[in-house]
Amino acid sequence: MRRILIIDDEDDIREVAALALEATAGWQIFTAGSGVEGIAIATVEQPDAVLMDVMMPGVDGPTTFRTMQQNPLVAHIPVILLTAKVQGVDQRRFASLGVAAVLFKPFDPLTLAHQISEALGWKEN
Amino acid sequence: MTLPMNPEDEAKIGALLISLWERNLPLLHERLAILDRAASEAASDHLSVALRAEALEIAHKLSGTLGMFGYQHGTEIAREIEVILKSSAIDRFHHLTTLTAELRQTLLGK
Repeated sequence: MRRILIIDDEDDIREVAALALEATAGWQIFTAGSGVEGIAIATVEQPDAVLMDVMMPGVDGPTTFRTMQQNPLVAHIPVILLTAKVQGVDQRRFASLGVAAVLFKPFDPLTLAHQISEALGWKEN
Repeated sequence: MTLPMNPEDEAKIGALLISLWERNLPLLHERLAILDRAASEAASDHLSVALRAEALEIAHKLSGTLGMFGYQHGTEIAREIEVILKSSAIDRFHHLTTLTAELRQTLLGK
């Protein structure tokens, strides 16, 4: 069973994404409301991937990702950024950070697991 | 590993979306009121930096969530509001009043 950590400051996003991934893919989900909390959970739980919002108050997604990259305990965990940004320059900037993928909000809860699997090259049944 | 969608699970997600939408209606009203105020101040060329930043954050959040609840047009309007608030083209600020009214109509039907 895949284990995914969702980091987003929006309660709605966390709740919908968590239920959708549990229901559609049978994955185990952890959630965090901030980058700092997310890194702490990632360190302990060692999820298979992190799905993280770009724009969060305090420490944003890209900064959290860079912090993770400098921490050998979590640097190996693939990170997918989730963003509502639509401008091409933003998309290219996020992709150039070295994250595994960039997905866009609003997402379709019914196809989110498929998008994540595809982005990470995970085989689907 | 995507499992075939069980109709019960699909219904569960649908029910969660409806429940979240209803639970967050008061917050949505607050957010729309702030966008209205920002649009009004922008129309009179007196939009403060603080209100602009707050409205920008709200527009960003709405653009990222409304489509998830089935309001794809709401996402598009919120995105347009976000782009205008981020831009330095002050002349486009006058369009905000129309957009915020359209957003309210789309989401609340009034």
